[in-house]
Amino acid sequence: MVISKMPVYNLYMGCSVPANYPNYEAATFKIAKAYDMQLEYMEGVGCCGSPNLRAIDYMGWLTVNARTLAIAEKNGHDIVTPCNGCFASLKDAYHFLKHDADYRKKVNAILKKESLEFKGTITPRHFVEALYTDIGIEEIKKKVTKPLDGVGIAIHYGCHLLRPVDVTEFRPEYLDELVQATGASVVEYPLWKQCCGATVLPVDENVAIRLARDKIKSMKESGAEFITVVCPACGNQLDLQQLGLKESYGEEYNLPVLLYPQILGLALGMDEEEVGLSMNRVPADPILDHLTG
Amino acid sequence: MAETEESTGPPATLIDPIEMSKLDTKFREEIHSMPNGEELSACFACSTCTAACPIANIWKYKPHQLIRMILLGMRDEVLSSDEIWLCLTCFQCQERCPQKVRVTDIFFDCKNLAAEEGKVPPNIVGLGKELLEKGQLYTVTADWEREDMGLEPDVPGLSVDGLRNILKETRTSKLVDGDK
Repeated sequence: MVISKMPVYNLYMGCSVPANYPNYEAATFKIAKAYDMQLEYMEGVGCCGSPNLRAIDYMGWLTVNARTLAIAEKNGHDIVTPCNGCFASLKDAYHFLKHDADYRKKVNAILKKESLEFKGTITPRHFVEALYTDIGIEEIKKKVTKPLDGVGIAIHYGCHLLRPVDVTEFRPEYLDELVQATGASVVEYPLWKQCCGATVLPVDENVAIRLARDKIKSMKESGAEFITVVCPACGNQLDLQQLGLKESYGEEYNLPVLLYPQILGLALGMDEEEVGLSMNRVPADPILDHLTG
Repeated sequence: MAETEESTGPPATLIDPIEMSKLDTKFREEIHSMPNGEELSACFACSTCTAACPIANIWKYKPHQLIRMILLGMRDEVLSSDEIWLCLTCFQCQERCPQKVRVTDIFFDCKNLAAEEGKVPPNIVGLGKELLEKGQLYTVTADWEREDMGLEPDVPGLSVDGLRNILKETRTSKLVDGDK
């Protein structure tokens, strides 16, 4: 008989989820608890800097993320994060430093002040990838007590979860299967790979909104009744910005956006308050009508 | 045979000719030596990157043109372009490049070179300032929402000093100071 040990993870929350999406944070914790994944908030860390920091100050961005990785290396557990932006920063820095000895030396010279060193001994991962890989679809399905009735959900993976694939090592099947495990159907739509526009928001708001709108339109036209995301920035673009489309484009989509742990949480029998459904901007309670069992 | 009209002005061209004397032949080496710039010279200008870009239609210089401009040495034009800042960083160009040129990463290199010269859109400098002063891009304001969800009002383990101390010594502080 194999006695399984509860996996422990360093939880890197970043800045956007705790400030803007406490429902995502709470639902992530509840999912982890349901599957015996032990998430421990990391001590002494903050923001990843985002792609904006990478754009203006590569060395600063690399060092900040190497520092987070080095702190996690002290206890030896992998990092998990619920944010695509944090995942991209950590994974890109990890991948680059693993392959570039010169930069590794430069970064470690700075980290030495805090008696830290990047060695590359732990891996930064997105929470949903850890759920998929370490728990597995069969185990996930076993705990589903209120499966969805096959309702069509469009997945927005988010660019920084998928690409560049040699860095992220994330495959779209992971999220497809995770959504199907709840009993929902995955709706394929032409613009599935397209960006939500979040990164360009500070430079050109109109372009950012157009990208979000094109994406939502493509989902709706393909028959989606709900959207799921695994990133606060993507969530903001598709959910909050959707409300503004009435004014800017004269279009109303009424396509609720749920964070994936909210959907799984409901399928596990949690109620709408436990997954913070009332905080979603486009009213998301129609999902409750699709729960069975 | 019809007689052609005598031309008086300079010959008509489809695009402005490149000023050879203004080219910086070192530019390609500069990018080549930056993070993920090694594959730059493998570009054979197929423009697959441009076909993959969801917003290239609104760009004056398309992604494949920017790569070609780097190879030619058009340093000022590339580093002063709006396009490098409009890049979504969606990595679609990079993913599809048949020559494995890390197009999106190279645009990050270009932005870093532009930043070294102080050429950064004001809103992005603003984000740098936010990071330097507050240590994060988003700060918890509605802590009651966290409590409603059964979370600690303050984010456990959060410390902004690590990031701030690093950025005080790197380019971010120069950019933010230069802006004052």
